[in-house]
Amino acid sequence: MRLNIIGLLFGIAFGGVLAASNLHEYDTIHAMLRLDEFDVFWFMASAIAVSAPLLYLLERRGMNTPFGGELSLSRSMPEKHHLQGGALFGIGWAIAGTCPAPALVMVSSGAMLGLVAIPGIFLGLHLRERQQQSDQHVGDGEHRMAVTSDR
Amino acid sequence: MFDVLPDRLAWYVGGPILGLLIVGLFVVANQPLGASGAYVQTSGLIRRRSDIVVWRVWYFVGLFVGGLLVTQVFREGAEIRSGYDAMRDVFPLWATIPLVFGGATLLGYGAAVAGGCTSGHGMCGTAQRSPASMAVTATFMATAILTTFVLRIATGGDL
Repeated sequence: MRLNIIGLLFGIAFGGVLAASNLHEYDTIHAMLRLDEFDVFWFMASAIAVSAPLLYLLERRGMNTPFGGELSLSRSMPEKHHLQGGALFGIGWAIAGTCPAPALVMVSSGAMLGLVAIPGIFLGLHLRERQQQSDQHVGDGEHRMAVTSDR
Repeated sequence: MFDVLPDRLAWYVGGPILGLLIVGLFVVANQPLGASGAYVQTSGLIRRRSDIVVWRVWYFVGLFVGGLLVTQVFREGAEIRSGYDAMRDVFPLWATIPLVFGGATLLGYGAAVAGGCTSGHGMCGTAQRSPASMAVTATFMATAILTTFVLRIATGGDL
């Protein structure tokens, strides 16, 4: 229950930042990928520049999180599926001009073609899941699906 | 509604705030602030699977609500429109719809194969210093820029 509220709040904050930065607009992503405008690259780089050192320090201190045990970062070595998936993702990202989180904000901003993008993303994820017979690789980057229940 | 937010938040404000949110979700739940996982869990809920991560579905709803708050409440309020202005300038609607759907399917499939998307690998994975995430990020940046270039050539520089 409490974790659900936390999930909702983090979703709202993330969606809010994406909307405030206009990352839900096709035109913003398209201008970025055309290399006309570098704001989104700086946006991503500054998010990493802030989070990476903090995560490093917190992990070293062995911080205990209220819902997920000891804070642990996961690192893995690149495999073939990372490069194949990344390559396909990039092509789709360039054509659709959106990615999973901004597509939701696109709809809340009134842009109705977001209602075309979202089912497409669901379909793509589903096709892979069916092919694999398991969702082993499907997740959030360095993923972990361990936290399933609340306590 | 209230029009208190600027038209666009500067990257040096939005980026660091997002960085703190990434840290925040790790601090609270030891979880990455990704997005494709939320789609997977939500589609599991729709298909009535029993082993889903419920809080990720709430997170999915939150993304939509957060966008609603910013675009409709804290800004003047955006009206219903098609979106994709730059693409609509080049293609009619009947061509835009399959392009958007096809592109979205491809990126969803790619995210599933890679195990994450722009947020999960691009930002959270890179922030965890994962070599796999960095490889995914470098790859999708390269193919996306290349694809955009090809589209630009194919449309005679219009897109």
